[in-house]
Amino acid sequence: MILKLKGWFQERLPVSGEQIRELTNEPVPNHMKHWWFCLGGTPAFLFLLQIVTGILLSFYYSPSTLTAYESVKYISESVPYGHYIRGLHKWGATFFIASIILHQMRVYFSGAYRYPREINWMIGMCILLCSTVLGFTGYSLIYEQLSFWGATVGANIADSIPFIGPLMKKVLLGGEAYNANTINRFFILHAAVLPCVLAVLLFIHISILRIQGISELEFSSDKKQKNKVFNFFPDHLFTEIIMALILMILLSALTTLFPAHLGEKANPLITPEMIKPEWYFYTVFRWLKLFSGTFAVLSTGFIIFLMFSWPFIDSWFRRKTKYQEASVWIGLFSVLIIISLTAWEALVVH
Amino acid sequence: MNPSRRQFFKNSSRIFLAAAIVAPLGMFGQMVIRFLYPKKRSDHWFFVSTTAKFEPGKSTTYKTPEGQSVIISRVKETGTVDDFIALSNVCPHLGCKVHWQGDDKTFFCPCHNGKFSALGKPLTGPPAKANQELIQFPLKIEKGLLYIRVPSESLFRISKLNSKHRGCTNQRRTPA
Repeated sequence: MILKLKGWFQERLPVSGEQIRELTNEPVPNHMKHWWFCLGGTPAFLFLLQIVTGILLSFYYSPSTLTAYESVKYISESVPYGHYIRGLHKWGATFFIASIILHQMRVYFSGAYRYPREINWMIGMCILLCSTVLGFTGYSLIYEQLSFWGATVGANIADSIPFIGPLMKKVLLGGEAYNANTINRFFILHAAVLPCVLAVLLFIHISILRIQGISELEFSSDKKQKNKVFNFFPDHLFTEIIMALILMILLSALTTLFPAHLGEKANPLITPEMIKPEWYFYTVFRWLKLFSGTFAVLSTGFIIFLMFSWPFIDSWFRRKTKYQEASVWIGLFSVLIIISLTAWEALVVH
Repeated sequence: MNPSRRQFFKNSSRIFLAAAIVAPLGMFGQMVIRFLYPKKRSDHWFFVSTTAKFEPGKSTTYKTPEGQSVIISRVKETGTVDDFIALSNVCPHLGCKVHWQGDDKTFFCPCHNGKFSALGKPLTGPPAKANQELIQFPLKIEKGLLYIRVPSESLFRISKLNSKHRGCTNQRRTPA
């Protein structure tokens, strides 16, 4: 019976087991046995989790100013396991962005962005930016005080970009200010447009990785080993599965101990005393407070541009000067600044 | 380690990993089903009108908190709850809305020409063949006030948006 069924499929889809094995059995360099190098698979798993929990939440979420807050309240308080699914989505988003940042740091400090991997670094940057916009639009959907005013401030930041800013703000909000159309736009961006863009970016990112192969690092402990590579399937996949299981335990624990909060319903007439965006915007938010609007926005844009083109700047710098590992010190300095600005924003009220 | 012991550890670690994947997936799957499955509706008593206002032969359309219309009529005048009848306006055949036809004193379903008597009994069409009556809702009288037992709201949306339209709407003459 099984053989007959196998024959039926083979006739229509002439793919042999050997071919599938070849497709999945990418040899992986030995350094990938170190846990620190699972950080690329972590965002991929979290992306899947966000898609699943996001689809589930959209069964109940109703994107309109009249019903958004009530529907989130209904999910959190009335639907069986609603608080858990919402909590997973919220903490999943936090972990998603955190793991992308950690992955990017690992790539940066191990120099894996260098020739010939510049394009993949830039696609990675696009993934980071896309994820932060996803976080921003998702947070705004709750329609509580903080998310409402966060969206308003965010749109006004876009407004201060010279030339295209006012148009961007109008398109994002569907008008001059937050109105009945805004939440629909945010929902479509958050639930359809950006996830599709992110899926395409991830596909390209992973495809390029497969074409180029993983950059090889050798640790002193690996030198003794005979084989330089090991199999992706099942060896590395097992590592990723264990990582995913640990993540699920962590996310479930966080969801239980610190459930997704629901503040006061948005009131367009009163701005709350303390506005804070999500933690991954703390650096930018503090930067915006330190400098005047247009300068802050332009300098942020310039820093993002520098990050995008870093592989080329680094290569130029290495060719022209004798400081071969300057990027490590620049990276450490940048991380220090980012951590300081984030901590500063987190610790002060205004 | 001899080969058989190594094999044993290899196999048991694989079984352990498989269980570690299947168990949380199963648990999560169960949660997803519970999350998506509609909540059990609960019925509650709601006030309709005073019985004194309800003359024999008069009917009223009552909107339930879920937005469903119920036709409540007074068919007798004995002073008990049996004087009243509350019928759903949803045809039991395929869920179309029935309406009252004054000329032949029947409820008519336009989808498949089903007809019901003023008491909700099937007369013609597919409902008569399958002997499907209009759904009747329980009523009670307390201190001269008429109450109806209907499913209470489960959707925040309807409760939010339709609160001003809930309850009795137009009173009109007949069915009985």
